[in-house]
Amino acid sequence: QPGRLAPISPLFVALVCLAFCSRLSRMKAASICTNSQTGCHFLSLANLFDRVIHHSARMHGISNDLHSEFELYFLPSKNRVSRNCHTSTILTPNGKENAQRIAREELTEVILKLLLAWRDPLWHFHQNMARHHKFNNLSSNKSLEMSEMVHELRKGVQKVAEKMQMLGIISNSLGTLGSREALLASDSPEWRLMNDYNLLYCFRRDSNKIQNYLKILKCRIVPEHGC
Amino acid sequence: SFAHIPSTSCMLISVRICRDGGGKPYSESKILLHASTLEPHFTDCISRDQVTFRCWWSPGRLHNLSSPGTLSVFYLKKDSPTSEWKECPEYIHENRECFFDANHTSIWTPYCVQLRGQNITYFNEDDCFTVENIVRPDPPVSLNWTLLNISPSGLSYDVLVNWEPPPSADVSVGWMRIEYEVQYRERNATNWETLEKQPHTQQTIYGLQIGKEYEVHIRSRMQAFVKFGEFSDSIFFEVTEIPSNDSTVPFTLVLTFGIVGVLMVAMLIVISRQQRLMMILLPPVPTPKIKGIDSELLKKGKLEELNFILNGGGGDGLPAYATDFYQEEPWVEFIEVDEEDVEGEDKEDNYNSDTQKLLGLPHRTTEGCSTISYPDDDSGQASSDNTNLPAHDSQMLIASLLPGQPEDNEDTVDTPASETGERPLIQTQIRGPQTWVNTDLYAQVSNVMPSGGVVLSPGQQPKIQDNTSSSESKTQKGEKKNEDKEGIEEQTKNEPRFQMLVVIPEGSEYSAESDAIQTSTPPSSPVPGSGYQTIQPQPMETKPAAMPDTNQSPYILPESPQSQLFAPVADYTVVQELDTHHSLLLNPPPSQSPSLCQPQHPLKAPMPVGYVTPDLLGNLTP
Repeated sequence: QPGRLAPISPLFVALVCLAFCSRLSRMKAASICTNSQTGCHFLSLANLFDRVIHHSARMHGISNDLHSEFELYFLPSKNRVSRNCHTSTILTPNGKENAQRIAREELTEVILKLLLAWRDPLWHFHQNMARHHKFNNLSSNKSLEMSEMVHELRKGVQKVAEKMQMLGIISNSLGTLGSREALLASDSPEWRLMNDYNLLYCFRRDSNKIQNYLKILKCRIVPEHGC
Repeated sequence: SFAHIPSTSCMLISVRICRDGGGKPYSESKILLHASTLEPHFTDCISRDQVTFRCWWSPGRLHNLSSPGTLSVFYLKKDSPTSEWKECPEYIHENRECFFDANHTSIWTPYCVQLRGQNITYFNEDDCFTVENIVRPDPPVSLNWTLLNISPSGLSYDVLVNWEPPPSADVSVGWMRIEYEVQYRERNATNWETLEKQPHTQQTIYGLQIGKEYEVHIRSRMQAFVKFGEFSDSIFFEVTEIPSNDSTVPFTLVLTFGIVGVLMVAMLIVISRQQRLMMILLPPVPTPKIKGIDSELLKKGKLEELNFILNGGGGDGLPAYATDFYQEEPWVEFIEVDEEDVEGEDKEDNYNSDTQKLLGLPHRTTEGCSTISYPDDDSGQASSDNTNLPAHDSQMLIASLLPGQPEDNEDTVDTPASETGERPLIQTQIRGPQTWVNTDLYAQVSNVMPSGGVVLSPGQQPKIQDNTSSSESKTQKGEKKNEDKEGIEEQTKNEPRFQMLVVIPEGSEYSAESDAIQTSTPPSSPVPGSGYQTIQPQPMETKPAAMPDTNQSPYILPESPQSQLFAPVADYTVVQELDTHHSLLLNPPPSQSPSLCQPQHPLKAPMPVGYVTPDLLGNLTP
């Protein structure tokens, strides 16, 4: 009898909506922990850190391989090495003590700046390699992987930063991530002038920096989970 | 990497690119290049903790610059475009070392070092580096080992080695990530076994041998970098054999000797052939044995002898030599068919009761098409009387030897008639419902066919009722088909049953076919002559429900693809073949009434084979 169904159907729809909406709101948190379990939150943050650290280690390994291969096959003379990286403008802590003394937000910001600064140069480097067949297939795959990794790692670190902000570990002053420094670094024509060897050298150095900073950051924030 | 050649000397350039971090490529190449120049040069720059670093130099030989103070170290830290050369922050003259402390050390910053004499600067492009690239971590400390397990064979074992990271490397802060390379070898071996680098502070070594002393040392390096640190101090360990339980040794000995002893006793017994012991140890396998007939004869197909024997030899019924058979085997028991009473079993006069039954005593009703479980296990057993044989069997066995119908099949001996064509033949042959003419209980085997058929002399003709003639029609095919074995094989697959020759005595409602055991026997050759009476047993259905008429003819028609048409021959029944129990399978009679049970393949020609147990044959008199 359609008469009976009429009042029921909107009620039914409303119930369904409620169920789904509550689910969605819960899913927004994107966490397996409920709010009351702080230990669980920190554990998941530690997991996130582990993942990005592992990722950065891998990225550094690939950059090291590429640099060594470049040295092996192209043997650039020392004269051509300018050793001026385009990321020199970004202020980075140059020692252990400095890295430990710097504020967490600053350290996180430095990491993100570095990752952002390398996004375009690596992409162009890979295009250059692929177009001119300067590398063998394996190396050109590595260069592609490298450029993708930078992209992924940046997203990962952003997630970590968000989680830290959510947990109140760091302040919300990271909104200025698209800071002028980073933009300058990526927009500066310097990196276009870098030759391939320099680029690889600089990126190898910077990927090591990123790896170190991430590890220091993790051991400062969640030291009990494997430091 | 290339070396900068000083202009003051000519020398051979050896470019050596070392990838492996096992040695010190930096210093090695320097030594190669600079040893000949004899100029002051840096031998190595190393950082142990990525916080400080040191550089060592050598004064060279050319100039008298070995005294301290004559050479000074200058470094350039390229952290800004306006950087300048500065002197070494801390000298350690005894070692000719320049130490850069934490304040003067910047990671990821290019450094260059140079030596300066009075007026000369000795500088090499090779001496530029960044600190993270010259890190060689200290070796791990507190090496320790634990035994994991020992293999079941007791020859090898696994060991877990664990250690602490070097104290100088600040791994807890995450400043350095170290991976370790473990090497081990036997005490006096020259080559080290190297395990995979891994970042954990423990490692399992598999497959070490018991009783050997092993040496283990470890070195470390930064992850994703090339340069290893020094090896740690070695640890030595050895696992000696665990003394096995003494209780197991005598147990195995006792077991072994016991087994050997038993085997020897058994062998002795077998060899000595003591009859009694042989009987106990190796009981004879029961097989049916016909008294006076050597089964070997039948195997070899020596039908002439068989004929001779069956014909009575010299008329004795048994040849003289036949009694010699099996005399050395006293345990052989012959199968004998004994009479059985209707009520019970009469051991003495079993045969007479059979005769009675055959001659028309009404007795048991048909039990349907059930197969008789042929007492295979009877043969050779101690019971002399065939108490295990059902009465039906014995009756049927005897009946099978009765003379069959004589002449009707002569016309159709050689012509394989079609089924329909044969039916009228069968019809003509049928004399009446279930009436047996008085027949002799015995039939003389007048001849044995080369094909194996035994021809009996005909007695009075039994009256065979025509039931379903389908099966018997096939028996009238006159062709000799000696596809015995094939037929057997085919039919053993389908119906592993015996086929029995059955002769129904007159007037009896002998439902022998219900009890008939059927064999999947092949068709036999047609029996020439006349008057033979081979009743073709018919394959019996196991289902009792398959019987259309309960009081039908008791014939058992064999189920065989081919049928044999027998010219009725007096006194003879063709021995079709031997079955697995060394029993003779005789040809069935030419015209048969269908059995009570429907054959499985009614269109197939029934196998004209009759089955006679050997003991029955022995009882036959010509």
